[in-house]
Amino acid sequence: MANADAERLTVRGIELEIVRRGTGRPILALHGFDTIDPSASFLDLLGRHGEIVAPSSPGFGHSPRPKDFDTVYDLVHLYLEVLEMLPGDKVTLLGFSFGGWLAAEVAAACSHRLDKLVLVDPVGIKISDRETPDILDIFNRSPDEVRRRSWHDPDRFAPDFDAMSDEALVVYARNREALCLYAWHPYMYNSQLPRWLGRIKVPTLLVWGASDGIVTPDYGRAYSRFIPGSRFALIERAGHHPEIEQPEAFVERVSRFLEE
Amino acid sequence: MQAWYHCENVYPFVPQEVLDRAPSVRASLPNKYCDPKISADLFEECLDEHLLCDELGVNVVSIEHHSGINSLYGASPMILGILARQTKKVRILSLGTLITIRPDPVRVAEEYATADVISRGRLEIGFVKSGDSEMVSGNANPVGYVDRFWEAIDLIQKTLTSHDGPFSWEGKHFTHRHVNIWPPVYQRPHPPMWAATGDPETSAELGRRGMVNALVLRGPEASKRAFDAYRDARREAGLPAPGSDRFAYAALCYVGDTDEEGLRVGSKLLWFLNTSLKQAPQMSKFLPGRLPPEIAAQNYRSAPRPGSLANVRPGQSLIGITAEQAIARGILCAGNPDTVYRQIMDIYEKVGGFGHLIFIGRSGFLDHREAEKGIRLLAKEVLPRLPAATTTPAAEPARAAE
Repeated sequence: MANADAERLTVRGIELEIVRRGTGRPILALHGFDTIDPSASFLDLLGRHGEIVAPSSPGFGHSPRPKDFDTVYDLVHLYLEVLEMLPGDKVTLLGFSFGGWLAAEVAAACSHRLDKLVLVDPVGIKISDRETPDILDIFNRSPDEVRRRSWHDPDRFAPDFDAMSDEALVVYARNREALCLYAWHPYMYNSQLPRWLGRIKVPTLLVWGASDGIVTPDYGRAYSRFIPGSRFALIERAGHHPEIEQPEAFVERVSRFLEE
Repeated sequence: MQAWYHCENVYPFVPQEVLDRAPSVRASLPNKYCDPKISADLFEECLDEHLLCDELGVNVVSIEHHSGINSLYGASPMILGILARQTKKVRILSLGTLITIRPDPVRVAEEYATADVISRGRLEIGFVKSGDSEMVSGNANPVGYVDRFWEAIDLIQKTLTSHDGPFSWEGKHFTHRHVNIWPPVYQRPHPPMWAATGDPETSAELGRRGMVNALVLRGPEASKRAFDAYRDARREAGLPAPGSDRFAYAALCYVGDTDEEGLRVGSKLLWFLNTSLKQAPQMSKFLPGRLPPEIAAQNYRSAPRPGSLANVRPGQSLIGITAEQAIARGILCAGNPDTVYRQIMDIYEKVGGFGHLIFIGRSGFLDHREAEKGIRLLAKEVLPRLPAATTTPAAEPARAAE
């Protein structure tokens, strides 16, 4: 799966494809269900406020997955290690969706390396009763429903598989497989995490797409209540991916938080 | 040749408009469409068919379900328990318990050992990899299920062959610190083991392990490929060449008095292909882990590019098949006894021989009376003419201590 053009970062022998953009404070960005598209416009906009380092997790994108590297535990420790490798005293941690879960875990474990934490429509915790799933089951629900509930404007933003290159489709299939491996059971959450979110000592912003049907804004508000002093910001006319559907509004809100 | 009667105990009585409307007839079809009183009748009929097989010297197969209309057998070990007690002579094959969705293979091994004891050593243990909607209904991660399959087999085999007190298993997928089943298995070292697969890589591993390789509805070409991989793997490993007793071929099969009857009634078996395979895309082609991403990627296109391997899922190409096509492809054998004999022998020649014929003799709206007639005719008019199986020389786990 080597992609000759991509920059790479080697962490304990594990090779990660990375997207790097911008200058300034280091921002470690952890992708969601899909890896971060290097042509996404939010990268350039946010790159004016810091140097974004966005790795593809093992098994995602063009990053190989070592044998027996297959749990969220592995991912959390991988990113704890990445945090230690990044230059500077402090790092801003930004996590999208599934990567938001990882970012919350990392922040709960290692607040002292962070200056700020931004979670964008994160998954990772269980809020409701045992018969009410909080997180849409993207593997077991119909593709049409998942598409509809992922985006505010699916016709404009949902991936057009027929228009994608073979290579992009393989990356998409790799992303699905890796996500399924890591997050199938329990589905997209760690039941112990809420207990430890109180350890997060850095200023935290939760950004949520108002139309997110994967994890709703109410889930986000509940998430926010577990993180002391955290703030919650809604982005209108955006679903699970506000950074893609509303890049300007997204970056405006995040950068304002970073500059505070 | 050994014949094995295979009936999945299907539930065809859901209104067609419900099936047409449902995105999947497995896993997500509400069970309100399944009448438990009708189900009880179906169980009685199918189990009676197995008892008829016992009289006629036809071995029997118990499967485990797909959570939907195509089988009411929710748990293979449960059916094995009934067959172990109610049949008296024939061998009983589990094909199989869905070990990739069961959390503890030791429990499965204990259930198998119990059935082996009750039947006084007539059990054969088959493994199926499972997949698709079964991963959904079984709540099992579809990614990595093949590794889980082999580890479960290893643990079951170790469990069945250990007799000197508890052992510990700390594997990748399963841990069990205290394994010591009671009762132990009746056959030593363990009942014959089978697996159903058409994937040559898996067949090669079956060859190295000396397990019986069954191909279910794959036709002669794919079966030959698998059997060849099995033979090659044994040769490369320096193991004796397999006899035909290591190979099993499964097809829909109905014998009537006349060709007309055989074909007319046998065509009803196609319900299995035409109606019961429908699965929602998220439970089949989009389910991760089933195909390597390099191949699965093409499934996302509204029409996979020509030459793509994406949709080569075995069942996929069978939906909508006619009886004539099914016969031509070696999926269905149907006609009078002479015709069915010729059809079986034609397949036999094409694949290079097999020692076990698994015949799916009841499905869809083919009823109990018809099924029993087909079983009788096959047992009396066809089976005696089929060639004897050749055996695989030692270096194999010994067969039953009968």
